[in-house]
Amino acid sequence: MSHFSLKSLFGAVFMFFAFSFGLKAQDGAKIFKQNCAVCHTLTDQKLTGPGLAGLADRVPKPADQWLFKWIQNNNNLITSGDAYAKKLVADNGGVDAMSEFEFLSEAELKALVAYVMAPPAPKAEAKATTAVVADDEAKDKSKGIDPLYLLLGSIVVIAILIGALRSVRQSLQNSYNRQHNIPEKPELTFWQEVKEWISSHRRLVGVFVLILIFIGMKSCWDACYRIGVYYDWNTKEGYHPEQPIKFSHKLHAGDNEIACQYCHYTVEKSRHSGIPTVNICMNCHKGISSGPQYGETEIAKIYEAAGYNTETATYDKPQNPIKWIKVHNLPDHVYFSHQQHVVVGKLDCTNCHGDVKKMTTVEQQAPLTMKWCVDCHRKTEVAMEGNAYYDKLHKALKEKYKGQHDVKFTVDKIGGLDCGKCHY
Amino acid sequence: MTMSKKYWKGLSELSDSPEFLQRKNNEFAHELPTGDLNETDAKGTSRRDFLKVMGFSTAAVALAACETPVNQAIPYVVKPEEVTPGVANFYASTFYDGHDYASVLVKTREGRPIKIEGNELSKVSNGGTSARVQASVLSLYDGARITGPLHKGEPSTWKNVDGAIVKALGEGSNVILSSTIISPSTKAIIAEFCAKYPNTKLVTYDAISYSALIKANKNVFGKAVISSYDFSKAKTIVSVACDFLGTWLSPIEFANQYSKNRKVTRENPEMSKHYSFEANLSLTGANADERYMVKPSEFGKVVALLFNEVAAATGNAKVSDAKITNADASKAISKIAKELVENKGKSLVVCGLNDEGCQTLVNGINKMLDNYGSTVDVELHSNLKQGNDKDFIDLVNDLNAGKVNTLITYNCNPIYTAPASLKFEAAYKKAKVKVSFAQTLDETATLADYVCPDNNYLESWGDANPKRGHYSLQQPTIKQIFSAPRHEGTRQVQDTLLAWSGSKTNYLKYLQGYWNNRVFPLQGKYGDFASFWSHTLHDGVLKVNIVKDVPVETPMAVDSTGNPILAGVAAVIADITNDTTKKAPVVTPAPVSVATTETLPTPDYNAAASAATSAKGGQFELAIYEKTGLGNGNQSNNPWLMELPDPISKVTWDNYITMSIPDVKALGLNEMLRQEIYGSIVDLTVNGVTVKLPVFPQPGQAPGTIGLAIGYGRTAEKLKVAFGVGVNAYPFVSVSNDTLQNVAYSVSIAKSEGEHKFASTQIQHTIMGREEYLLREVSLNEYKKLDKDVFNPPATLPMHGGGEKHVNEIDLYGSFERLGHKWGLTIDMTSCIGCAACVVACQVENNIAVVGKNEVAMTRSMEWLRIDRYYTSDMNKQKAHEEGIGAKEMYIEMENPSANPKVTFQPMMCQHCNHAPCENVCPVLATSHSNDGLNMMTYNRCIGTRYCANNCPFKVRRFNWFNYNDNTDFANNPAQQDLGRMVLNPDVVVRSRGVMEKCSMCIQRVQAGKLTAKKDGTPLVDGSIKTACQQACPTNAIMFGDANDENSQVTKWRADDKNYYLLEEVGVKPTVSYLLKVRNQDEPMIREEHAKAAPKAEAHEEKHS
Repeated sequence: MSHFSLKSLFGAVFMFFAFSFGLKAQDGAKIFKQNCAVCHTLTDQKLTGPGLAGLADRVPKPADQWLFKWIQNNNNLITSGDAYAKKLVADNGGVDAMSEFEFLSEAELKALVAYVMAPPAPKAEAKATTAVVADDEAKDKSKGIDPLYLLLGSIVVIAILIGALRSVRQSLQNSYNRQHNIPEKPELTFWQEVKEWISSHRRLVGVFVLILIFIGMKSCWDACYRIGVYYDWNTKEGYHPEQPIKFSHKLHAGDNEIACQYCHYTVEKSRHSGIPTVNICMNCHKGISSGPQYGETEIAKIYEAAGYNTETATYDKPQNPIKWIKVHNLPDHVYFSHQQHVVVGKLDCTNCHGDVKKMTTVEQQAPLTMKWCVDCHRKTEVAMEGNAYYDKLHKALKEKYKGQHDVKFTVDKIGGLDCGKCHY
Repeated sequence: MTMSKKYWKGLSELSDSPEFLQRKNNEFAHELPTGDLNETDAKGTSRRDFLKVMGFSTAAVALAACETPVNQAIPYVVKPEEVTPGVANFYASTFYDGHDYASVLVKTREGRPIKIEGNELSKVSNGGTSARVQASVLSLYDGARITGPLHKGEPSTWKNVDGAIVKALGEGSNVILSSTIISPSTKAIIAEFCAKYPNTKLVTYDAISYSALIKANKNVFGKAVISSYDFSKAKTIVSVACDFLGTWLSPIEFANQYSKNRKVTRENPEMSKHYSFEANLSLTGANADERYMVKPSEFGKVVALLFNEVAAATGNAKVSDAKITNADASKAISKIAKELVENKGKSLVVCGLNDEGCQTLVNGINKMLDNYGSTVDVELHSNLKQGNDKDFIDLVNDLNAGKVNTLITYNCNPIYTAPASLKFEAAYKKAKVKVSFAQTLDETATLADYVCPDNNYLESWGDANPKRGHYSLQQPTIKQIFSAPRHEGTRQVQDTLLAWSGSKTNYLKYLQGYWNNRVFPLQGKYGDFASFWSHTLHDGVLKVNIVKDVPVETPMAVDSTGNPILAGVAAVIADITNDTTKKAPVVTPAPVSVATTETLPTPDYNAAASAATSAKGGQFELAIYEKTGLGNGNQSNNPWLMELPDPISKVTWDNYITMSIPDVKALGLNEMLRQEIYGSIVDLTVNGVTVKLPVFPQPGQAPGTIGLAIGYGRTAEKLKVAFGVGVNAYPFVSVSNDTLQNVAYSVSIAKSEGEHKFASTQIQHTIMGREEYLLREVSLNEYKKLDKDVFNPPATLPMHGGGEKHVNEIDLYGSFERLGHKWGLTIDMTSCIGCAACVVACQVENNIAVVGKNEVAMTRSMEWLRIDRYYTSDMNKQKAHEEGIGAKEMYIEMENPSANPKVTFQPMMCQHCNHAPCENVCPVLATSHSNDGLNMMTYNRCIGTRYCANNCPFKVRRFNWFNYNDNTDFANNPAQQDLGRMVLNPDVVVRSRGVMEKCSMCIQRVQAGKLTAKKDGTPLVDGSIKTACQQACPTNAIMFGDANDENSQVTKWRADDKNYYLLEEVGVKPTVSYLLKVRNQDEPMIREEHAKAAPKAEAHEEKHS
């Protein structure tokens, strides 16, 4: 126990330092993941664009100034006659493939360039993650034995005990009878004896049967609640169907650190998170035709769907939409908006979907029942601060709960449990 | 002899016969029929087996049902750039079907149009829509649409059809018979077509003809056009047989203008005064402040009398006098003329009769009143109706003479719409080659040799010039539904005509070329065509300065590929989408004086008057009218419009004869219709043709006249919804003076056998003395003079021990603070004209089922929003009191509407009571109240006890008696067809059998609006959320908003002293409120007991807990 808390304390201290020193670098990392990681790696590996290792030495000095211009609008830089920019285009077969990033602010650019030129050593990060993972595993193990097995085990033990005691009693009775010359009772079979016992203990048996019936009905009732729920409450195992393409989120979002929103492009714009269309896959897979696990077989399925001819590098074949199996299913009468939760509620994807970065096959991590929704709405505070939409309501709520310190403005306090918020 | 038995049951027992003894031992006289069930022979299944098998299968099904289904998600392969799944796109476009015009926004979801909204940028339709425009989106998904060209009814290919028709076109004279075309580029294409085939003539024919207006303007102003009107500038309006709010010329535009100066407030307590003369009770007549019933034969006489009165007052020459039978109307005319003259330049007289003499006189009256240039404008003319009846009649003669080789019909259906006297069908068959551009196999297309189906307007490019100086664009909002490779496909008429002209271009290029040449130079805002085009396409509309008329009907110069050569302004259309660098010189339109310098013709008003007053009536006179729902009938295959209750009669799925109640009594027909009292059937004879029609007793119908609606009686079998519903009234249209007039002056009626079931959504006519609680009204003069508490008294209840308290101060419930939003909806009954655009809009938005005639007749209509129509009665409580009439007699008399009643429309939807009686009685909490004041309905929780509907004081809850979306008895439901299903709104659940439903106050829109504000981090902007009914309303009679926001419009409306709540004294505290109706009438409306009552204590602010 003491070991555990010591560990977490160390962890917290480590995190704190890492956070305060690395604020800039972290922002840079985030910007890089969201905007650049699709085409560039921080190593030598070339994706659509070149790997960025040793960038600071390559580009004209001062490197950061040049990079600002290049990232913001490489077109302008090329047309302005910058020699290195022209060389880059020429190296790429005369094609200027890079997009413009004029929306990035100066501060963001600075953070990004600082990150790209001096990325944190990957090892330290890996260590930190492993530590957390190890922690989680330890916690899992400490959970102990399932009470169901305990119950079953004790029933077995009791049954053996009863059997043993019975034979002991039987032999004692026999010897007693033989000593006292009591004529032996006709030998009863086990079942006859049980019947006799039942008839002499009717009340006890009746109560027992009633309890059994009650337990049976209760489990039927509970089972009814789980109809249509793709989640096993007992094993905590989620629905994880096999998909038509063995797509690994671990490889894409985990190892390659592609931001969720890159593929699930509408999560901030729509109620749907958006299942990536095949043309999004092709953004990268036009260049990457072989994967680490299955080689070319799985990626070939993307080409088949997109109608892409690998020989001619053109889309001249018929298209075949991919029929993904939906993992997270809500009934039709539920209106759920990703936009509301991700943009307004600022929730992370992992809140409901679990740590997808570690999933080879995506698994449902939350039961997605109404109880689960409602529980969260009861607990979660609304991020009212800084959103002008809530200003008036926030003021009114503060006025109403004046003097009460432990009041939280949770979702249910502002009507988050109304039927009409999700059912219409 | 002693008898062994003292009592016996019969002689057989007495005699103890062997048969008796045998029977006595048998308990049952006959064998029980158990043999089949007990035998387990090979023949059948025994009962035991049956039960076993059934038990097993039930268990098996139950177990199988536990397995969760596998759902697939199939994303796009290549996502179209503008589509975001789950987010709607809006495209500006134009609706024009030869009858109605509206600039619209088309809402599309994942590439399919699901809703039509008004375009607020339009200066013609002003963001309004009508029921017909709202419903038009379903015509896109009409299962009756033709999927490819037909030859003699058999599917053919475009190649074959084109070849055959091009050959035929060169062989003789050709006629294109079309309804009005307001697309200038289409006219240019037709001009090009005519240049290619010089023997071609364009005949414009409108089923509802306005050609007398054109002739009259030619007579008076020398311009063969229809004037445009501006009702918003008119203080006195006189309409003679003219339903300008419902169907006449440009009803959306007129309704908007009309309502603009009828918004009465304390600051501006003025409104226009509207007089109406008509035979049928039309929507316009129902809204008139004073209405007079006249026969169709006297319409012209009314106009002539008015002409003389105005002429006398303005010192102009009179015409010969006339007399009308209605003494009240006759007396009123001089009063009206006086008012008109007082409001010189701010008055307007309109007439809907398609009679040249009559219209010439109307022009004369407006001219004497100096209305030209203010309320009427012949310079700023309307293009909406250009039909020339003379041309059509000549065409029939030409056809009969065999002079027409090829007849092409475009956007018209003359076999169905032509008057019987023209015998058009026989003439039509004489054309050698008959081509139809119809989208569905209508009556004309069925007889045509070739059908070249046009695209729906939502699949088409196009432009429109509804009014001089006003342009709008039409753009496709969906890929052609019927196209290769699955179908041979439809083709836009313009493309078809270009192909037949031998042009190689397509219509889009032609359209851009046309606009570059002819429209772009008219404006000075954009310097280059590319940005002009993209901005205009985005806005949908364009208003340009008026210059001299552009000669539109000449073909444009084309290059070798058939593309128009771009003269005048240098711009390149080929790359307009990406090249914005090329700047063209800004062209400022040359200033052209609007005043005409040419000499005006001298109209002969005397001749016009003698023509207008010459009509002589018979026993009965027939006035043919258009229903607000169906219009001219070109959308009659639309189930939404068929089920839409007529705003006046409230009857669905039917046409019928409307007859005044005295006439009904005189003929001995059923007078009071109820669910179980059917309408009588009569034989109607017009010009020797007899049809059987049911009679609907209509208050307000001029005695001696009958009304009959067009749009019904479709005989084309493919039009499954409309086929066989009602009788076609078009054949009764009379032809006189080379114009088609929707009247028949002499018809006869005889009682016939049988009865007819009407499906009406409202069978009670009057409010039965409950005005104070439900239907408050006040006259303008009283409104100006009286205190609020007199005409809009607060709801108070007498207290034990004396005194009265406002109902809001007495409450059984605890209070509940609404801190965030508190939604409110307010309806201005003065502005509401009852046009039912909102009813259809609600139906489209909320996936409301179509239930069909039988269900409506059983009061099972599903519409969430209905419009209650109430007539006034001659009896009221005050009169009964004065005359000593008992309560029973009083109420019996109150049931009868007046002969010429005042009409009030009251839109009625769920009132979202804050103390809702429905919520208390739901055993499963399926209906509950939201934090922001809405009454919510949770369908998946509802078990269908219907207690809530029973407990609702407003009767607004609707129960799904059947699975309308699956049950084949309701096959007219769009949700049942693969194609029709595409119209469903994906944001609203489709309800199943056994659940209750009702107005949700468009909660899906409320949630979406809130989310946008939250996302942007801004306070909710008032007006950013609009309910479907509010958005559809052409008169802005509905206001939705946050009643907790002190600056919102709805809060302002509610602060008005006309605001009241229905049944307020019951204490249900509705969220919906009404602004009482103000009528500009002379006679007082407030009953004396109220006027006398001392003003109550200070008005109680409505405080919702």
